[in-house]
Amino acid sequence: MQATSGKPNKIRWYYEGLSKGVFRASKCSDCGKFTFPPTGCCEHCGSWNVEDAELSGKGTLLFATHSGSDASHPRFEKAAPFVYGHIRLEEGPIAQAIIQGAEPTPEDLKALYEKGPVPVQAVTLQMDDLPVIAFKLQD
Amino acid sequence: MRNQLNERVAISGVGCTHFGDLMETPAIKDMSLQELTAAAVKEALDDAGLSGQDVDAVFAGNAMVHSSQLPATYSQMSKWTGTQFKAGVHFEAQCSTTNVGLAMAATAIAAGVYDTVLVFGVESTRSKVKDYSPYEREPISHQQSWLWTDMAVNQAYGVPQGYDIFSSYNGLVALGYCRKHGISIEDFDRGMFELCRTRRLHGSMNPKANIQETMEDAAKRKGLSDAFEYWQSENNPFVAWPSRLLSLVTTADGASAMVLTRADTAKSGRSQPVEVKGFGISASDLPWYGEDPTIWKNDERAVEDAMDMSGIKAGDIGYLHTHDCSHISSLCTAELIGYLEPGKALDAAREGRLRFDGDRPMSTHGGRHAFGHAWAASAGSDTYEAVLQMRGKAGKRQMPKPPEVSVIHTHGYAMIGTVIVLGGM
Ligand SMILES: [Zn+2]
Repeated sequence: MQATSGKPNKIRWYYEGLSKGVFRASKCSDCGKFTFPPTGCCEHCGSWNVEDAELSGKGTLLFATHSGSDASHPRFEKAAPFVYGHIRLEEGPIAQAIIQGAEPTPEDLKALYEKGPVPVQAVTLQMDDLPVIAFKLQD
Repeated sequence: MRNQLNERVAISGVGCTHFGDLMETPAIKDMSLQELTAAAVKEALDDAGLSGQDVDAVFAGNAMVHSSQLPATYSQMSKWTGTQFKAGVHFEAQCSTTNVGLAMAATAIAAGVYDTVLVFGVESTRSKVKDYSPYEREPISHQQSWLWTDMAVNQAYGVPQGYDIFSSYNGLVALGYCRKHGISIEDFDRGMFELCRTRRLHGSMNPKANIQETMEDAAKRKGLSDAFEYWQSENNPFVAWPSRLLSLVTTADGASAMVLTRADTAKSGRSQPVEVKGFGISASDLPWYGEDPTIWKNDERAVEDAMDMSGIKAGDIGYLHTHDCSHISSLCTAELIGYLEPGKALDAAREGRLRFDGDRPMSTHGGRHAFGHAWAASAGSDTYEAVLQMRGKAGKRQMPKPPEVSVIHTHGYAMIGTVIVLGGM
């Protein structure tokens, strides 16, 4: 585990990266796998021996649905309902996030479902109070 | 881990209130949470033939302290339940709370520390304390309710970045299920309708259920002659396509309780005891599944541990409840357990096999949709139903042949997979 004195805590560090379009993770020095978003411990093997890492933001959208029309959090009141997807990142982690490039309608979602897995790229959505990760359809 | 109970443990008493709304539902209207808890506890203690002074310890569950404002629930409830001066702890495992309490109680009894433990869970998801009043409550808004509930979900990265329960728990799982088994969206919709219709039927036969209206009656009330037409109408919108509103939990206020004791003394109680054969608990953080949304590793582990401790096989299970905040997730779990054939759960629903009188009965109290969901009290309501079925005391919804072995699976947000196995003594 790294010394944390003088450094932002991991959560702040993740969001500061996100605001600059950098997708931060931690990488295990023992098993080599990524924990995304980052913690101070490997989620796969429990090792504390992790180092800071960046992900490409490239991924594959596996499935897409939509959020409820009433936002469950005030931060997303302007955005809801939004398309929400299940993504496999190039480096291995599975993520779930807002999807851009499709409408939250049964028609659009059915078309996406029938198409099967499609490439996506991570982007940053700047909400009023926090940067939020989203994935953009790449076609 | 050794994964064994060193002494046999039994449930000797169970109690559960009507699930509903403290501000509206006649059976519980204007009750305080103290009285609601006491009602469940009294039923369980009476069932066991004990008083609060006969128990050695109290495990008191309450998940959403924001609405109850009753931390230190064990001491605040003690004068209402007759359990002062007993050992006590307030704990929560969200929607698995009461059954995790059961596992903790069984562990303590099997270890030889306590002989008899009272477990209870109480929750209000519909209202909160009004202006610090000791007895007045006011409704919670939809958003407030989810903000507080979702505090049990990844607060570093999940909730702040748009986590949505309907998507993660319903829509994505549904799509994963359809893709994996080659099921059309239309067949999925029909299967979900049939499952909900069954749960509503069970709720209509349960005087304690939050919703006691069948789907057919709901359709009639809206001027529709056909229940499936009602299902596909604007009364039942998509909340996370292809999942609809009526495939979800309905929120409720409620309390449940159980008395656990050494199996060798349980038979001296008032009612037929049921043995705790085993349990398994496994927790995970988001995302709850990998590439395949139908496979949840924490559930696999919890099921494996419970089966191992109890020594049962899937074929032994006579009654099953799987956590059904999300109906499609509950079917995936039933398939994982081996109670239903992989990919055939929707067919089983359409064929009526999941009804109380079917060959694969599930959630005969109505489940989280019809019986309702009062977070920390819900797992206890599931156990309550299983015990009633095993005793042959489930009234109109009684299974024709009382089950010998029951399995109850719950998801404690988010996400504590908990499986308990009950058997006849
Ligand atoms: Zn590792």
